[in-house]
Amino acid sequence: MSKLIRFELRKIFTTRLTQIALIAVLLLSVLFSFSTYQNKYAFDGVSNEGTGRTAVEIDKSMAAKYEGILTDEKVQQMMSDLVPKSDSHGLNAIYIYRNAMQSAVAARFSDINGNWNGLSVSDVFGKEEIKIGYVDGWLSTSQNIAKVFFILSLVIIIMIAPVFSAEYGGVDNIILTSKYGKTKCATAKVIAGIFAVLMVTAFVAVINILIGFLLYGSKGLDCSILFAPLSFVEGYIPFNITCGTLLKYQIILAFTSAISVAGFTLILSAVCKNQMVALVASATVHVLPIMLPVAETSTLFRFIVLLPLYHSQFLSIMSVEQINGGMLYAIWAIPSALAFLMIGCIASRKAFAKHQVS
Amino acid sequence: MELTTIELTKQYGSKTAVNHLNIALSNGVYGLLGANGAGKTTLMRLLCAIQTPTSGKIILNGKSIVGLGEKYRSLLGYLPQHFGYYPDFAALDFLLYVAALKGLNEKTAKRKSEDLLESVGLSAESNHKIRTFSGGMKQRLGIAQAMLNDPHILILDEPTAGLDPKERVRFRNLISAFSKDRIVILSTHIVSDVEFIAEKIIMMKSGQIIHFGKPHEITSEIDGQVWECSVPTNRAEQYTATLNISNLRNEENGCTVLRVIAEDTPIANAVKVQPNLEDLYLFYFKGENDR
Ligand SMILES: Nc1ncnc2c1ncn2[C@@H]1O[C@H](COP(=O)(O)OP(=O)(O)OP(=O)(O)O)[C@@H](O)[C@H]1O
Ligand SMILES: [Mg+2]
Repeated sequence: MSKLIRFELRKIFTTRLTQIALIAVLLLSVLFSFSTYQNKYAFDGVSNEGTGRTAVEIDKSMAAKYEGILTDEKVQQMMSDLVPKSDSHGLNAIYIYRNAMQSAVAARFSDINGNWNGLSVSDVFGKEEIKIGYVDGWLSTSQNIAKVFFILSLVIIIMIAPVFSAEYGGVDNIILTSKYGKTKCATAKVIAGIFAVLMVTAFVAVINILIGFLLYGSKGLDCSILFAPLSFVEGYIPFNITCGTLLKYQIILAFTSAISVAGFTLILSAVCKNQMVALVASATVHVLPIMLPVAETSTLFRFIVLLPLYHSQFLSIMSVEQINGGMLYAIWAIPSALAFLMIGCIASRKAFAKHQVS
Repeated sequence: MELTTIELTKQYGSKTAVNHLNIALSNGVYGLLGANGAGKTTLMRLLCAIQTPTSGKIILNGKSIVGLGEKYRSLLGYLPQHFGYYPDFAALDFLLYVAALKGLNEKTAKRKSEDLLESVGLSAESNHKIRTFSGGMKQRLGIAQAMLNDPHILILDEPTAGLDPKERVRFRNLISAFSKDRIVILSTHIVSDVEFIAEKIIMMKSGQIIHFGKPHEITSEIDGQVWECSVPTNRAEQYTATLNISNLRNEENGCTVLRVIAEDTPIANAVKVQPNLEDLYLFYFKGENDR
């Protein structure tokens, strides 16, 4: 059996298209991270201004001043230290961006003129204890990871679509007449496919997290995602979790997405006539739910977000609800992915064994 | 070992490729002859259980092959008429992969693969990628792959297609030596390939068996209907258009010797000759095909 699995892994990783796709996802990971980093901008309100590394350093040093639990005193201090009142040129003060801390406090506590809007911490966040700090770097990383993981799900389709269907180009004759062709070989294909998917997902996740550490360090991982620059406030996850927790969920969701995609792609691979059809069919099945006109408030939405497309696009699934003990609804992605996988394994093996050679 | 088909039928839509076919095969070499589209490949696929019959069944030693599953397939070796391969695998790797599929242990797999590459004349190329192989080399690799598990039932679909004469002879010798106590079925259009090694000939037409027997037995059917005659070369073409010619040979004196299949004397000076399988084949198929 292990011999058969090794042969299947070799077939998966020696496919030219798969190799190209894997290189592409790695290059994109690097590209997204570094371009986001380069585009960072910050101005400390006095003299220091810059992009890229300078910006990150300014943001980090500003954050260091106010680190800790968010209190009403801190809000007042930040409002007076950071939020400009004179040079708004008629622009709503909330939308003025000088640095991450300024944007964060303005987003929640400023009126259009840059004055305090009168809300207290508990008015905005309820009883939640909000730990503040430098979260901008990891939140950007998180956004990039979402893009990378979506691309990864397509790469996984490229990897898995040929697992059975490539044999239909003529080797099926030989495989299906051999002793283990309809049994152990089909199992080996499924195991190799899942193993390959898990390996690749782990690899891509590790690379992206490493790049995150390289660019932003470990600062901010224990801080709340709720006190963040304006772009992370509107339509973002409304729960008081830390950046570290956010990333943990995203990585879990990357894996659940990967194995769910592997599950249905295996089935399509076994039933489609050739690898091109399997590839196109799988990609369509994967992406199509984006067209579904389901409102976020509808109960159906809770089920739709369990589709793998929404795992990598973590915002929807992570915004559904917070269940007991700080756990998010998104945790349901795990049983759902296992179901996809189980059905995929069983159905694809059956379909391959029944395949009619022609 | 006895392999039997009972009322075996395979339909593709309205086309019946194999039609209520009954045959009992015991150990020996069988030559399967038939025009294009006669149903040879379909019959072989059914025997290999890679197509499900529309009706009827296949029985090995009293048991349906459907129920035998792995047990049946472990006895089986199959060379498809057309097959795929992994272009980036070396010949030896490919055989090792098939050996793993056939459940051979590592040592046996290696030994058998190397032996067979030797037998089909590919040992020098064993580490070359299959994408660099010529058609005939791929075909020989296909033959080697079919024999890896010393199959008791060896099914070869046009094994000599693409082989040069030297390789055809090598193949015939390989099969003759291998076939003892086994069922070997091979289809071909080159009648001479089976004339000498096949103990029995199966002739198929429109999905049915029209002849089954030893080569000399079945040729006796057309005893007295094969003629040879000499005609001027410039008129030979005219005769080929009207007569069923199985062979034609130009002589130096401006004459052509025609081998004609006909019930009565086709041309005045014709003499009767001993029929061979090719004559019989032409007698039945007259250049037509079933497609
Ligand atoms: N997958 C298929 N779908 C539809 N019709 C098919 C299929 N396979 C075979 N046929 C038809 O069944 C008939 C028998 O085909 P088969 O391939 O068995 O012939 P054959 O004797 O092997 O011919 P050849 O000498 O050309 O290899 C043909 O008429 C063919 O068109
Ligand atoms: Mg054929």
